[in-house]
Amino acid sequence: MTYTSMETPVDYNEGGIRSTAFDEDLKKFNWTPIIMEITLFLIGIFNLLSATAVEDKSLGLYKTQLMWFGIGAVLTIIIFLFHYSFLSRIAYFVYFANLFLLVLVLIVGRSSLGAKRWLGFGGMTMQPSEFMKISMIICLAKFFETDNVIGGYRLRDMVLPGLLVAIPAALIMLQPDLGTAMICMLVFGSIMLFMKVNTKTLLILALVALIAIPLAYKYALKPYQKQRIVSFIDPMSDPKGSGYNSIQSMIAVGSGKLVGKGWKKGTQSHYNFLPEHHTDFIFSVFSEEWGFIGCTLLLALYMIFLLMSLSIAYQSNDKFAMVLTFGITSLFFWHIFVNMGMVMGILPIVGVPLPFMSYGGSSLLTSMIGVALLLNVANKKFMF
Amino acid sequence: MSFLGNEEQVRELQERFRLLYFVLFIGLGLLSSRMIYLQILRGDLMRRYSEDNRIKRVKIPAPRGMFFDRNRVLLMDNRPAFDLEIIPQYLKESGQRKEVLDMLSRLVNMKVEEIEEKLEKLKAQPSFMPVKIKTDLNRDEVARIESWRIAMPGVSVEMEIERTNVFGDVASHFLGYIGAVTTSELPVLNKKEKRYEMGDNIGKIGIEKQLEDELRGIDGQDVVEVDALGRRIRNSDAGRVLDEETPKRPVTPGKNMVLTIDQDVQLAAVKAFGEKVGALVAINPKNGEIIAMISRPSFDPTEFSRGISPTRWKQLIDDENHPLRDKTIQDHYPPGSTFKAITAIAGLEEGVIDEKTTFGCSGSLKVGNRVIHCHKKGGHGNVDVVKALEQSCDVFFYKLTQKLKSIDDVSKWAFALGLGQKTGIDLPRETSGLVPTEEWKMRRFGEPWNQGESMYVAIGQGFLLTTVVQLANAYAGIANGGPIYKPHYIKSVESYEGDIIQDIKPEIIHQAKISEKTIALVKQGLSNVINGAHGTATFLNLPGMEFGGKTGTAQLFKISSDKIYNKCENMKYNQRHHGVFVGMAPMSDPKIVVAVLGEHVCHGNTGAGPIARDVIKTYLEKTFPEEYAPKVIAEKIKANKIAVPVRASKRTADESEDVFISQPGVIPPADLPKSEDE
Repeated sequence: MTYTSMETPVDYNEGGIRSTAFDEDLKKFNWTPIIMEITLFLIGIFNLLSATAVEDKSLGLYKTQLMWFGIGAVLTIIIFLFHYSFLSRIAYFVYFANLFLLVLVLIVGRSSLGAKRWLGFGGMTMQPSEFMKISMIICLAKFFETDNVIGGYRLRDMVLPGLLVAIPAALIMLQPDLGTAMICMLVFGSIMLFMKVNTKTLLILALVALIAIPLAYKYALKPYQKQRIVSFIDPMSDPKGSGYNSIQSMIAVGSGKLVGKGWKKGTQSHYNFLPEHHTDFIFSVFSEEWGFIGCTLLLALYMIFLLMSLSIAYQSNDKFAMVLTFGITSLFFWHIFVNMGMVMGILPIVGVPLPFMSYGGSSLLTSMIGVALLLNVANKKFMF
Repeated sequence: MSFLGNEEQVRELQERFRLLYFVLFIGLGLLSSRMIYLQILRGDLMRRYSEDNRIKRVKIPAPRGMFFDRNRVLLMDNRPAFDLEIIPQYLKESGQRKEVLDMLSRLVNMKVEEIEEKLEKLKAQPSFMPVKIKTDLNRDEVARIESWRIAMPGVSVEMEIERTNVFGDVASHFLGYIGAVTTSELPVLNKKEKRYEMGDNIGKIGIEKQLEDELRGIDGQDVVEVDALGRRIRNSDAGRVLDEETPKRPVTPGKNMVLTIDQDVQLAAVKAFGEKVGALVAINPKNGEIIAMISRPSFDPTEFSRGISPTRWKQLIDDENHPLRDKTIQDHYPPGSTFKAITAIAGLEEGVIDEKTTFGCSGSLKVGNRVIHCHKKGGHGNVDVVKALEQSCDVFFYKLTQKLKSIDDVSKWAFALGLGQKTGIDLPRETSGLVPTEEWKMRRFGEPWNQGESMYVAIGQGFLLTTVVQLANAYAGIANGGPIYKPHYIKSVESYEGDIIQDIKPEIIHQAKISEKTIALVKQGLSNVINGAHGTATFLNLPGMEFGGKTGTAQLFKISSDKIYNKCENMKYNQRHHGVFVGMAPMSDPKIVVAVLGEHVCHGNTGAGPIARDVIKTYLEKTFPEEYAPKVIAEKIKANKIAVPVRASKRTADESEDVFISQPGVIPPADLPKSEDE
């Protein structure tokens, strides 16, 4: 049944080399994902140069980021060499392998800032939770490829895909990494809605959520997570404490005004009024230095990226590819929305990186794998 | 799960994309509108917040005006001192409290517990306010801390100006000290305009207090860039222009004061005082300039300028010699026999005696039903006014006073010479002393004056009280033959850079109308005290300097008649007499008048006299070397131009003493209101 999705059976040859027709068809090749990726990454690295140029911070962070980009590029090529249907075959393997890594993190992971999120190997560290987002999407695409429900999904139909998401999300929560777990749930919700949920079920779920949220707040969240929510609702309740990041971040964004303070001239970031400004709060560095014009440009680029991504999803003519690319699109969308929303104070502070902008190898690799998959689907006719 | 089914499903899914585009636009539209809100609508406000974050106003303290002596010897200086401070908030935020404190303890050689203790003590104050950990860091410590500053968020070295009396404890009362302004002083000081803040210093006593407004200057304001941990940004590039609205203000330094003091004379006075307790005022009678003014024991005002420890404060307060009291103006004493010069003037001017009048002294006098004694057991025999002054004969002045209509005839002349009222010296806390009158007695005690009391006043006891500066000034009037200048200590006011802003002109405050004849007689008497055959202080003689003066001894407690001739030195320290001496030189044209009070030194001549002599000698030798340099005088003696006084007999200090001898029933001076206590 894995072969049923083989919609393009043209000389599919695993690990084969491209044909001579390549040159002629080069014009038809969809370069957009790569171009967008490189554009955003360059802006990101340029911004990172500024964000990390503080006297007591390592100045070499952008080099690490470049190295990760190199690894990502190699990975992109490798992914491109295979037809995505191969992914469909190994979907469950990828999923469970990643799940295993998540369990491993909880046992032997490295701690930093009170959370166990990293696995170390050699001199490098990786964050399995980042990759889990993609693995989960692949797995869901695999699941929905063959799953068809008439009249929308009901609760019992959602148990299985729900578990596919809930298990890794729970493991991620244990690290704890609320942001990533939340992204997983958001992506799952998006895919579910895309797959259509039964109206009655939707209403019931909405009702349950309404009841569950206060309960979850009371029992499931850790005190610091609760604090974040309180300070989101009223940041001034503790401006020097839990509300500090949110306030300083909003000040950074707002103080950029129309044209910004200029590259490397952001005072909020350079004088450390903003903590974590090279990772989760990278957007505040950018907006402080480039102002509304820069932000609009960046947002426009993300918009183009997401529109491109959506159109790739639209044009993919098999279900696996469509769910896969839609899932990736929603992953990017939520990352952008939650991160910027958090930085600008319309969402509570959760650790969600901004794709291509935030410093972080695993996050960058995940984004690049996502783009590689988009590229793969977009250029399926070049596949062998 | 057919191939076709898949395709159908794909088509069905494709139909939902329109909604997806819509959701995408909504989502990014939301972000975009937030950007508009923050960056466009609230941009100015947010920019201001971010500027407030990084730009801090810093006060540049204005240097306080310095003091110089008349020869431009620096007396009061501003010297930099370095303090170690910690801002607890940054210590907490950095999350490296332990590491920072460990490092710091090694750098400045302090135990971590000690640092913790200091932090703990000021836990109640807001955590962004710095806590002083160590004061007066040495250069090495400053260098070490500065080089590790980056690794120690919240730690800083602050420079403070230490107000320093260059000569330690010399003239500390007079020069004064500064201290932190108190919470209760603030509203009063800032009534008209905001001039002081918490932590500012203000003059507390002496010149520092009196001339606060001129000395203080105006603090400047600078703006600096700081990071989130409050560390100053170094090399902040010029392109990062600070907000134009942020006020920058240059420092206006305080004005320098050139004093009339001669520090050499001052030091000579301190040296002559040694361990003795008391006060000295030296005045130039021709213009009222204060040449020297000290009160002993003293203290080092530097201790006060940066906050004194409670233990040290208590020690100063509890000291029975009252080192904090300015004994030149703040305390008043019975002038003892030094007052006899004024009584003599009263007698001569009121016409009850003249230069030929003599009174017999048998050693005691019966007044009413009491017997009062002369300090000399056997009496002085027949004495005229000059001899009476020379030998300090009590009986002569008793008899003189008996001839006067009332005590008011004496008081009149005391007032004319500036006693019983503030001299107007431009210093805080001057007390006015007391010159009694009949009217005063009635007002004060509701009783009429009795004649016995006049006897005591005549010889400088009883109700009479004078400050040392009053005494010096009154004698300056005698030296001048009438006019009395306002005692002042400022020669000129200068800018901090040293340009003269204002010269101080002498000002006559009293014009005592005393006949030349009277002045000549009194001066003769004063001269004879030292240069006469029977003077009470002939051993003080300064050949060639025409040194004259009057000794006095102020008895503090009434003594029963069987003990009146007991040796003072055998009494308890705090019951011993005060010694007073007022001298001037040269008698023919006095250039300096010195009043000395020695507490519990027993005798005016031996206890206070030598101090006055040393001061006069130092001053004349230094100021008029062409006349008084030792070499010049030695030559004059050789050429027989100077008469060496002939002494009737070798007298010991003890014999020549002129202690006022009282009888039971006399109101002891201690009963009188003392000057206001601090």
